[in-house]
Amino acid sequence: MNPFAYTRAASADDAVNGIAAKPRAKFLGGGTNLVDLMKMGVEAPETLIDINRLPLAQIEQLPNGGGVRIGAMVRNSDLAEHALIKSSYPVLSEALLSGASPQLRNMATVGGNLLQRTRCYYFYDPAFPACNKRNPGSGCGAINGYNRIHAILGQSDQCIATNPSDMCVALAALDAVVRVRGPKGEREIPFADFHRLPGDTANIDTNLAPDELITAVDLPAIPFAARSHYLKVRDRASYAFALVSVAAALDLDSSQQIKAARVALGGVAHKPWRARKAEEELTGKTADELTFRAAAEAELAAARGYKHNIFKIELAKRAITQALSTVAAVS
Amino acid sequence: MAEGNILGPARNRVDGKAKVTGAAKYSVEFEVPKCAYAWPVDSNIAKGKITGIDTSAAQKSPGVLAIVSHLNAPKPKEPGAKESRDSGHGIRNEERVPFADNEVHYAGQYVALVVAQTIEQARHAARLVRVSYAPEQPLLEMEEAEHRARKPSKNHDENVQLKTGNVDAAFADSSLTRIEQTYSTPTETHNPIEMSGTIAAWEADDKLTLWDSTQFVKGVQSIVSRAWNLPTENVRVICPFVGGAFGCKGAVWPHVLAAAMAAKAAGVPVKFHVRRQDMFTSIGHRTPTQQKVSLAATPDGKLKAMRHVTNTLTSTVGQFTESAGARSTGVMYASPSIWVEETVFPVNMSTPTFMRAPGECPGSYALECAMDELAYALKMDPVELRIINHADNHPVKNVPFSAKHLKECYQVGAEKFGWSKRNPKPASMRDGELLVGWGMATKTYPAHIQGAAARVTLKADGSATVQCATHDLGTGAYTAFTQISSEQLGLPFEKIRFELGKSDYPFGPVAGGSNSTATVGKALHELAEALHQTLAQLAIKDPKSPLQNQNPQDISMVAPGRLGLKTDSSKSDTFIDILRRVRRDSIIVETPLKTEQANKNWAFQSWGADFVEVKINPVLPRVQVTRAVSVINCGRVVTFKPARNQIIGGVNMGIGMALMEATEYDPQTGLPAIRNLADYHVVTNADAPVIDVAFVGEPDFTFNPIGCRGIGEIGIVGAAAAVANAVYHATGKRVRDLPITLDKLI
Repeated sequence: MNPFAYTRAASADDAVNGIAAKPRAKFLGGGTNLVDLMKMGVEAPETLIDINRLPLAQIEQLPNGGGVRIGAMVRNSDLAEHALIKSSYPVLSEALLSGASPQLRNMATVGGNLLQRTRCYYFYDPAFPACNKRNPGSGCGAINGYNRIHAILGQSDQCIATNPSDMCVALAALDAVVRVRGPKGEREIPFADFHRLPGDTANIDTNLAPDELITAVDLPAIPFAARSHYLKVRDRASYAFALVSVAAALDLDSSQQIKAARVALGGVAHKPWRARKAEEELTGKTADELTFRAAAEAELAAARGYKHNIFKIELAKRAITQALSTVAAVS
Repeated sequence: MAEGNILGPARNRVDGKAKVTGAAKYSVEFEVPKCAYAWPVDSNIAKGKITGIDTSAAQKSPGVLAIVSHLNAPKPKEPGAKESRDSGHGIRNEERVPFADNEVHYAGQYVALVVAQTIEQARHAARLVRVSYAPEQPLLEMEEAEHRARKPSKNHDENVQLKTGNVDAAFADSSLTRIEQTYSTPTETHNPIEMSGTIAAWEADDKLTLWDSTQFVKGVQSIVSRAWNLPTENVRVICPFVGGAFGCKGAVWPHVLAAAMAAKAAGVPVKFHVRRQDMFTSIGHRTPTQQKVSLAATPDGKLKAMRHVTNTLTSTVGQFTESAGARSTGVMYASPSIWVEETVFPVNMSTPTFMRAPGECPGSYALECAMDELAYALKMDPVELRIINHADNHPVKNVPFSAKHLKECYQVGAEKFGWSKRNPKPASMRDGELLVGWGMATKTYPAHIQGAAARVTLKADGSATVQCATHDLGTGAYTAFTQISSEQLGLPFEKIRFELGKSDYPFGPVAGGSNSTATVGKALHELAEALHQTLAQLAIKDPKSPLQNQNPQDISMVAPGRLGLKTDSSKSDTFIDILRRVRRDSIIVETPLKTEQANKNWAFQSWGADFVEVKINPVLPRVQVTRAVSVINCGRVVTFKPARNQIIGGVNMGIGMALMEATEYDPQTGLPAIRNLADYHVVTNADAPVIDVAFVGEPDFTFNPIGCRGIGEIGIVGAAAAVANAVYHATGKRVRDLPITLDKLI
């Protein structure tokens, strides 16, 4: 770990001003990922700006049926157990509870979770010389290395890392909006535009500017999100990152016709993967297994695997089918 | 079932309160004045030479006291590899002294060690050290090391290349049912919660104290004292608690010598706590195996031939090998012909070591899966097949097994599990949409015993302190030895204080090979006899004693705390009265270390049977173990609760082996890609089923006077096969490469 300075922000403006003045500073939320990466020597901020005392830990219903606003400092466990979230957005509650461990969820914040970095072995362990995300231009160790947990959609020849977050998969399905504050004021980033595909800038995970602070995440009102589900497929029953995960919601009419569908995938891409092809395929069809499988096939048509993760293509198809079947069965 | 005879009392752990309150001090938790911290620099190439080490930036970093490398290390001499476990000379599976020269033999090898005043300073400065290499092409795969392959004739003292009867003839006999399959197990890493670590403090140029997390304090003392040319007693080793080991703390690994070297270089005590990532490269691991198992049996299930060919890896700086065939097929069933071969391939990977049931564990996985395949080929129940081939005598040594109750294990296990309700047809049993599979396997592990010594200080208030340089790896040894001391010495459990984990105490061997309870138990039996004789000597000279002028040979303990005449128990005297009348506050009695002579008339082996249920979603086929029954025949169970813990822990570790554990390596650098506890999957609580543990049999007094055989390792043996067999039963798919992750069932 490099020596670093520690300061504590008293307000959101204070935090933004602080980071604008120190380009090599980082915000410290729960620290569950950042501190780990600092110990590993992957991250080496010169200053940590502690934002734990900012008044950003509220969960509030927006007026006029406008959805829910989640403060950036809300802890994952508080969000998962919140009555409003459990009843109106069960997919989000389930996603959160499937991630990490209770101890980590008690610390991890919503804003921090949006910035969680990949668990690619070659990124996380600086002993490996090649990683374009950690060291641009050094190559990708994973493409010809051990790549069980890696991407099958949207990857580039520069990077095949995956985003490890469960929460973000649900937020992608829910069309969340990320509210941020920077030196020039506030702006909103639609969730689909928040994370990036690797392209040839694998070192940049998100479209958040280095001097911007995430203040909240807005969930739009989606009445049918009450019929939603998060399915996580992993190598053990608990405390493992997703091989493949699916966040799904269905709007069904009384004859089981799909009026609208939301599907997002985790564990398959550099960003939480909104499965728009699958959604298109589902809309207007009868909610049955054949429809679900066809939608999964459509979404995975462009998938490409590697030596150790090729199985994820079929696994993702099965997981989509299973998750949608589960949602359809929710009364 | 003779449970009443074998089950000792269900004692709570004597160290339980100290552990849950944090009062129990583990090795690197000791506070040593002026102690500095070490942080390693690891090689990230697998083979080559170090061409330069630039420490200029690191030297200037705050707090740095020394940077040790091959260029400047205060070099101990090569202490020699003593593999023999009963030698008392310690074990070194990696034979190279750290920082010996500029050679790199594997990725993750320590190439430098930074010592600083705080751990943060050391960690930061270590990152500033620049090492340059001249890399060479490493050997990383078994196939690449073909030209260096060797067939070891022995592992420790036992033969590992075995041949009895005429195997070829049986396999040529077309009237027999034959099975031939290859099974593989990956590299597995011990990963105890407490990482290895050493504090080294030189009190003088020739006096060294080590607080070391170890399974063998006397072994560390011997190796380190020889390395520095010191009288043995000038090196003290202290280790009152170990937070799990599973074999990775049995040998002396580079960090122990490196801590002493760094402390010498820095002139202050040095703490070297091995990092979790280095637990994957610098303290050993279970080496991967490829095992070809061939079986031939008559139509009614009688085995005629067994062949077990094992290929394993070792490092280029060690000899360690995993004798999978000899320790499973070489002992398990009655077969007139057995052929076991073992080949080891040295590669540029870190040195393997013993991990819970080395040999037996991967070997039983292959053999017990093959037996399941044979049962299906014969259309026979797998339990019945095993009963038909039950070995009354050791199939290679041809001597009887002592106190073997394996058939009872099968019977009790099958009954508890409900095995008779099993429909043998694969994929035939369901729980709603879930596939249900039931599998079983035999467990076995040899009973080992070594020499040990012990000391007791008996006080006139009737309390006693008993000491032996043995170990508690988190297993409950403190409690077991307190219990045995209480029974043997004849003092109340609450009045005994048992002390271990110090090289100052009388000799205890390595806590490995499940030998400790049997070994130290026997030493405590001998200690009790010596104590009682010493007290008898005092009594017979005491005019006020009812035993005055009696022949000491006629005197023994007639009741707890009381000596009396064997022939006339009305003539007796209590320990306390004997001491008080001679006005002694206490007496100290110590037994000498004796070499344990092997009893060659018998084969001593513990046995058991695992029955396992799995449930699998056929669409997303992650295997969930839903229940398990484990029945164990290990002689007497000294204390029931820790013993049961050992079996539960072993079976869970076997479930992890079956379903998720694997250390995967990067094929280009030879570094482990998996080297933290997020990526290296062991079973979580959510993966662990309820495990019903039962003990059957009788005390094995042929083996030792306590009647107990070991219990630490047998739990894991067979468990992975039982799971794999259950997976086959559930799905009809035979996965022969562990772990059985869901991609292999899609």
